[in-house]
Formats: sequence, structure tokens, C-alpha cells
Amino acid sequence: MLRLIVRRLLFIVPTLLLVSIVIFLLVEVVPGDPGRVKLGPYASAEQVAQVDHQLGFDRPLAQRYVRWLGSFLTLHWGDSWNLGVPVFSLTMQRLWSSAQLAALALVIIIPLSILLGVVAALRRDGIADRIITVTSLSLTVIPEFVSGVVLIVLFAVTIKIFPVSAVAPAGSGPFTRIYHLILPAIPLMFVELGYIARMARAGMIEALDTAYVRTATLKGLPRRRIVVTHALRNALAPTVAVIGTQIGWLVGGLVVVETLFNYPGIGKLMADSATLKDVPVLEATVLVVAAIYMLSNLAADVIVALLNPRVRFGR
Amino acid sequence: MTEDTPFQQEYADHLRHEVLNGHMTRRQLLVRASVIGLSTTAVARLLAACGSKSAGTTAPGTTQPKMGGTLRATMVSPTVAIEPTTMYDTGSIAIAQQVAEYLAWVNNDLTLRPVLAEKWSPDAAAQVWTFNLRKGVAFQDGKPFGADDVVATMNILLDPKTVSAAIASFQGILSPGGVVKVDDATVAFHLDQPNADFPYLVASTNYDCLILPSTYKLGTWQKNPVGTGPFMMTAYTPKQSATFKKNPKYWQSGMPYLDGIQVTFNEQTQAQGLALQAGSVDMMLYTPVQGSQALFTDPNVKVMTAPSTMHRELHMRVDTAPFTDKRVRQALAYSIDRPALIQALFNGKAEIADDNVFFKQYPLAPQDLPDRAQDITKAKALLTAAGMPNGVSATLFVEEYEEIAQYATLLQAMAKPAGINLKLNQVTLTYWYGSGKNQPWLQAPMGITDWTFRGVPDQYFAAFVTNGIWNSSKFSDPAFDAAVKGYLTTVDETKRREYAKTGATILMDATPAIIPYTISVNRAMRQNVQGVTSDPAEFLDLTTAYLA
Repeated sequence: MLRLIVRRLLFIVPTLLLVSIVIFLLVEVVPGDPGRVKLGPYASAEQVAQVDHQLGFDRPLAQRYVRWLGSFLTLHWGDSWNLGVPVFSLTMQRLWSSAQLAALALVIIIPLSILLGVVAALRRDGIADRIITVTSLSLTVIPEFVSGVVLIVLFAVTIKIFPVSAVAPAGSGPFTRIYHLILPAIPLMFVELGYIARMARAGMIEALDTAYVRTATLKGLPRRRIVVTHALRNALAPTVAVIGTQIGWLVGGLVVVETLFNYPGIGKLMADSATLKDVPVLEATVLVVAAIYMLSNLAADVIVALLNPRVRFGR
Repeated sequence: MTEDTPFQQEYADHLRHEVLNGHMTRRQLLVRASVIGLSTTAVARLLAACGSKSAGTTAPGTTQPKMGGTLRATMVSPTVAIEPTTMYDTGSIAIAQQVAEYLAWVNNDLTLRPVLAEKWSPDAAAQVWTFNLRKGVAFQDGKPFGADDVVATMNILLDPKTVSAAIASFQGILSPGGVVKVDDATVAFHLDQPNADFPYLVASTNYDCLILPSTYKLGTWQKNPVGTGPFMMTAYTPKQSATFKKNPKYWQSGMPYLDGIQVTFNEQTQAQGLALQAGSVDMMLYTPVQGSQALFTDPNVKVMTAPSTMHRELHMRVDTAPFTDKRVRQALAYSIDRPALIQALFNGKAEIADDNVFFKQYPLAPQDLPDRAQDITKAKALLTAAGMPNGVSATLFVEEYEEIAQYATLLQAMAKPAGINLKLNQVTLTYWYGSGKNQPWLQAPMGITDWTFRGVPDQYFAAFVTNGIWNSSKFSDPAFDAAVKGYLTTVDETKRREYAKTGATILMDATPAIIPYTISVNRAMRQNVQGVTSDPAEFLDLTTAYLA
């Protein structure tokens, strides 16, 4: 088990290295340059070239990459080319904000989805199952910018239950902050509900069809005991795996929700720095988010291994 | 010095004749008087002599301003770190303008309001402009304001190493060393050639010219915001928020009325509008018509409007087929139904323009040239005369910005019956403005570019003069160059108006670019916000703002 974890952790490093190279190459291909961004459309080509030179943007690609890599590994992440603030604190601040939003969404949606998935599986093909399946699927496919706008108009403008701003005033306590985060968390929950509930349902159905569950039923164990103690553990394995893959998205992929709710998350920072050719910030945010993707997948796999001893011992 | 120079007195007389002869309206008189720097007494005398019933401006507010309160505003975020000498985007400009000030401010009616300069006057040739600075003004850190600061700021802007876009505005007009301190409260600008509109180039319309202390170091403004303005920036988080508090030692006594401003940045117009409707902000900096329809009908929100010369220039390269023949370009111009376009794109909140940059709002622009109405028959005839009876095809580059994509689609539909088949190629702003030597907006055969408001048409000429730095159409006509030169260097109003008419006529005839409308700038705010108007350049002046 420990060997599994260590091996996976070691694998993350070359993956991140590869990702950083790919980003550098993509930045080369995309039009635009930081000098033009800094000075605007009316500056002359010579003026832009000057700023590019100051930023070191006109040096050869390989040289730029090596210099960047050196300073990144020694944690000298430098300053944002656009915003003039240190990359490290900016990235970490944004990461913390995104983490809070992701955490709130997960805390509500995981128990809810699993519950609904299990109920749907237990009442398979019945009314409850149909309703749960169809509703969760419908909610998943609604784009976040549609559900987000509708939610804001309904619950922040028309019926003023929730605040329109996702950012609580400075110095607010945790409950106020959560209150401000509820509205942006809802579109995320809609999306996740479909994935997790259906996965839980499928896993549960499969577990209920196994021989050992049949044996337990025939033995005379109460239904509740069978479901909770025996079947659930095995049903959850695929569900946990799905949640693991979703965490990366919930932290780093929420460009639409962050833009709509004006929430200072890391996804939007990443998108902006890509458009504005802010290479230090782009690299930092992409690598941080990539690391989170890989670590959350690793965590999910570890939990699956804990739930299912057969995985743990490699059979 | 409050007395007018002999030249100014002579000029005032000349203006009086213009009005009495019916060549100039009272409004145009006020603009020209303010540019030349006539004292308020002289202006009042002029208005009385012209037989005006009411002298002076009407007071905008009817209620007594209420002191105190914090105004919550929302606007797009500054795109880069805020540096006043190189800034170009709406967000940076709005933030910097709360803290620092210009020598003069361009009002919505195009008159100049003295700010850090109290008065100015040209010599007889309008080649040396002397500015008298306001006394008793200090920067927010306590340093007294004087001529040294003006000279230092101007030298920073004129220095090529600063990479300020202001250099382009001053090209051929003012060079380094041309700004001279006469005494602590007087600065003289020695121009390379006469320029009758010079004060506009050191006013708000040349937005990089905020006056900074002589000790200012480039690149330090965001951490240490300096200026003489009504508000001090106490906190700034990039892409998130900015906090301002009132400058207690502001030189306009009794102002500002507000205790502070809280700015929240938001990239999306729709999201800004929703916040305004919900009451979590008090005003939006800029409200484009597209996407804000709900605000115009919300009873809690009022939308202020300012007519502007903000426009979209559709250039056609005169050196590239099929637009080498001016008749083809004219054909496209005649295929457009301008009133319908304005109604569809702006719900009527725009003005018709006629393919030239001497917009009717400018006091010296010709007012009597006929508008170009849609005439498909004429368009077809022009194409036939140009040797293309079966029509032409071209690719139109469309930048992704506000209503431009919809404009292009409507244009495509309007041009088709005339035989002009346009293929649309939509590109991002980053692509369009390009990088290095590759700047598509200056090289593409046919494209639409957005142009912001300018207090005088002078800054638009670079798009049409021979080898002009912003000349996308590669238009070159010595007659036009001569008309522009005459317009810029002559002081005589009558002659300037003739040059303007010549220039406008040449552009309309040659049609290197299609400019069908000028947009009015809207600003939405809650009903209780007073003392704030919209601004043709989207600038924000909160000196007289208060919350009722």
C-alpha cells in the first residue's frame, strides 16, 4: 500500500514537468505578447519590443524555459507580468478561495448524491428511481452559465434570499462567507449530482446483484444491515473514483462560474493569464491545478484500495 | 494672471463676429473660447454681446448635496498593473483618475474645464502656449504642486524609454525639451509647429497626461498611488477591488462630498447589471446597450447618457483588390441603412456618422454635408462603373468587441443585394492588435476597429494621413494631408472650418473607411446617486457625487 502511494507520488513529478513544457509551447503558438498587453494597441512596435526585452520574452524558447524552471523550483516564482504582484501569494490566495468553494459544494453534494443514488438503486425501475435519474441527468447537462444566471435573477435580484456577490465583506466570519458561497455552489452541485448519483446507483445495483448479498438476504439479515454494512462499501468504489476525478475540476476548472459570480478563484486566474500571456502566473496556476488533479486522483485510489482489499493486494 | 493677452482679446472679437454672422452657434463659441483660454469675464461679455439671454451654465443639481457615505461602483478590472503614463484600458484609467488630475478636463460638451491649470493662452501663432498653474494645490502626501511637477511629468511622457502611447499624440507637435518652466506657477509649451487645439493634448482626452510629482518613479504607482485628486486609494487587490477614501486636503474646498468609494471589479456586463439591480452596488462605470436591456426599464435604476465620438472604423485597404477603386468603397457605403443599423444595435442610442472623422459634434466640423442614405441602385451602378457588374467578394475581419460582431452580420446582409459578398472572419482582440511587427488591425485588407472618444478630431487624423501610424487603409492623398495640416496649424476659425470641410469632403468622396455611427455612452446607477454624469470617454469624475 505504501509502495503504491510512493510510486504514484514519484510519477507526479515527471508528469508536471511535461505539463510545464507543453504550456510553454502553447504560449508560443497563441498570438499576442506581454509587451503589447502592457502597453495597449496604440503603442508602437518599437515600444512593445522594448517591454518584451525587459521581460525577457524575446530570448530563445529553451533559454526562457530553463530560467523559468530554475526559479520555479527554488520557489522564486517572481512577479506577475501583468498585475505586478508576487505570483506565489496571488496563486495561493486564489487557490484557497477556489478550495473553499469546492469544499462547500462537495460537503453538500457527496452525501446527497450518494443517498439519492442508493435510494434509486434500491427502488430500481420504480417511480423514485425514474425521478432521481431523469432529474439528476437534466441538471447535469444544464450549462453553468445558464443555471447561474437563472439562480442570480431568481434568488438574488427578484426574491432577495442570497447576496449577489460571492465574496463576503472583509472580516466576515465563516458563516457569512458560507452564506455568500451558496449561490455559486449550486450550479456546481447540479453538475456533480448527475455524475455521482448515477455512479452510486450503478455501483449499488451491481453490489446488490452479487452472490454474497443474495446469501446475506437468504440468511435473514435485515435489509438495512445488508445495504449499509455489506453492499455500500463495494458500491462506493467507483463512486469515490469519480469524485476523485471531479475534485480537480471543482478547484481549477470553474472559469464560467467564477466569471459569472465574480469570484476570485484560480480557474479564472489561469484563463486570464493565458489570454494576457502572463507566463509566470500561467505556469504556476496550471502546475498547481495539475498537481491537485493528480493528488486527488491518488487520494481517491487510496480510498478505493482501503475499501476494497483486492485492489490493495494487487489482485 | 487673469487678464487676457492682447491676442486673446483679438481672438474674442473674432469669435464674436463669427457668431453674429451666423457661422457659429453659442455652444461652439463656448468650446473655442475655452480652448483659447479666455477668462470667464471675457466669455460672459462675449455671450452678452452676442445677444444671449442667459449667460453661464445652468446648475445641474436641484437638491443640496449630502455629505458623507461610500459609493459602491463596479467596473471592468484594470488589465495590467496600473501605471498612469502607459495606461490604456478603461479600468486603469478610471482608478488613476480618482487619485490624480490633469491640467484641464474635457467636459461632455467638449469645452475645457481648468483643473491644475487655471488659465492658458497662446502666442499669436499658437506655437507657444503658456499655462498658469493653480496655486495652493498639494499632492496627497503633502508635497506642494508646482511647475517642476508639470515639466517632469511631461518629460516622462515624451521620453521614448517610458514607452507611453502619449508620444504618438505629441508626434510632430511637442518634443522633449519643449516644456519649459517659466516660474513656479507658470509653464510654457514650445511646439514644433503651430497647433490651435493644443490644450486638448494636455487635458483628460490625452489620458496618460495625469500630473505626477517630479519625484515619481515609473512603475511604482500601484504600490504608492500619488496625485492631487479628490480621493486617496487606500487598498487595491488586482482583479478584485479598490478602496478609496476622501482627500481631506483637496484643493476644491468642500469637495468631494463622498467619504469614500468602494470599487468591485467585474468583467461581465451582465453580472454588473445584476449587481446593480440587486442593490449591492450603486453604479456601473459603463453600460453598453447590448446585454443591459433590463436596466433601462428597472424603476430603481437610472441610465445617464452622453453623446460621444466613440465609433467603429471599417477600413478598406486602398492598395488591395477589390477596393483599389474608390467606387467600390463608395458602393459599400451606399448599401448601408444607417438609421436601421442604429436602431438594431443601440435601440436608437447612437448618432449617424458619414464616413469621415470630422464628426458633427466638433464645433468646427461641417454641419451641412448630406448624410449618406441607403441607395442600393446607386451602389450597383457604382460597381458596374468600376468594372464589376457581377459584384465583388471580400473577407472582413471582425474584432470580438461589444456590438461589432452584430454590426458585421447586419452589414453582410445589407451589402448582399448591392452585389458585395462579405465573408466574416471573427478574431479576438489579442489577435487583432497583434504582437511585434505583426499588427493585423494595421495590415488586414478589410477590418473593423473600435475607436474611443477624442475631444478634437486631431487624434483621429493618424488613421488617414499619408504614412500615419494608425493608417489601416493606407489611404494617401496630398490634398487631405494639406487640409489636415492647415486645420491644425491655423488659428483663424473661418479658415479652420474651411479646412475641416475640405478634409471631410475628401474622406467622404474617397471613402477609405466606413464610419456609420458614433455611439452614445451610457452609465447606469441607482436612483439615489446624484452629481455623476455619463462621460463620452467612459471617464469617471466623482468630485461632485453624493448619495441622496
